[in-house]
Amino acid sequence: MSATPRRGGAGSSRRLAVAGLVIVLALGFLVYKGLTSAIVFFKTTNEAIAQRATLGNATFQLEGTVVYGSVHRLRTTEVSFAISQGGATIHVDNTGDPPEMFRPGLPVVVVGHFVGNSDGFASDQIMVKHSQQYIAAHPGRVKVVSKSGKRT
Amino acid sequence: MTGSKVLKATGILALVGVAATAWLGLWVTPDAVGFPHGLVRLLYIHPPMAWVAFVAYGMAFLSSMLYLWPRTRHIRFDRMAGASAEVGVVFTGLTLATGSIWGRPTWGVWWTWDPLLTTTALLFVLYLGYLALRRVPGDPEVVARRSAIAALIAFVDVPVVYFSVSWWRSLHQAPTIDFTGRHLYVHGSMAWTLLLGFVSFTLAYAWLTAHRYRLAGLQDSEADEGLRYALDERRAEGLGPA
Repeated sequence: MSATPRRGGAGSSRRLAVAGLVIVLALGFLVYKGLTSAIVFFKTTNEAIAQRATLGNATFQLEGTVVYGSVHRLRTTEVSFAISQGGATIHVDNTGDPPEMFRPGLPVVVVGHFVGNSDGFASDQIMVKHSQQYIAAHPGRVKVVSKSGKRT
Repeated sequence: MTGSKVLKATGILALVGVAATAWLGLWVTPDAVGFPHGLVRLLYIHPPMAWVAFVAYGMAFLSSMLYLWPRTRHIRFDRMAGASAEVGVVFTGLTLATGSIWGRPTWGVWWTWDPLLTTTALLFVLYLGYLALRRVPGDPEVVARRSAIAALIAFVDVPVVYFSVSWWRSLHQAPTIDFTGRHLYVHGSMAWTLLLGFVSFTLAYAWLTAHRYRLAGLQDSEADEGLRYALDERRAEGLGPA
């Protein structure tokens, strides 16, 4: 048996109690966050349409794929577009600069609420989802003109 | 004394591997479709860091089991659990930081309460709590036992983090290396660089943990030595001047 005394005394045990309290509070906050927002991180477009009446003008996160040809820049800091999923479509007006990766065909999560009694959605934040797949833009860097010569 | 030749070789290999990963990741590999400004290059370090955190917590879990099992109970398993968890916390912090740096330009946010992000933040705090618990003074055996139990409890969150993207709706994409489905979602030099990243960071983990473990042993023997010295001194006082 080793007789190893741990460092510490009266002062350090108070410090430990404070550290412990901070960690417990942080844990509690994270579990609360996990239970309230992380479990259902967003509603899909068709769910939001189905729950339109109960959702009212409450703020929530909405997911859908940006519809091709629906994106219009209204002002420099405002963009309007449609998202669709599961056969439902919602028109979104977003204030604020969309992320650089924002483009038609990509799924996005928008944060906002339905406007008035309409099916229009006002958002102030766009989060762009991307897949786990990464495709080389110019494989091997060979000096030939590739079929899809674009480099994004 | 800086450990064995094997350990030294592990350290050198880790260093060379991480440097090679950086070189391949930044200069050799191509850009990815849809990712502006070479943002995809964070791929070569972010998943390997998360992987190392998992490995570290797995090691802490195993060591704690071995400590709690009466037949294998030895203080060295307690030291190993503490050393491994400490490295794990560093890599969880790095995972959160690189993820945040990647999230801002790609998703558009530094942070969001997505299931994967939330459970990873939880993981970070859980193991910080574990490290704090290890420092609560007490009888060494009691400290070792309660730390071991805490390590088993904290480990519950590890599979939750890994499967969170498939269990719940998430902003974060699924893993590029799918261990359960045995599929790799990246090809060519990008895949090789990613795999090199995994190997190099794992070696770095082994090197760091081995040294931290060695240091924990030295700290314990230094404390033992100090106690013995103090006891001898008191004993000498009791005997009076020689």
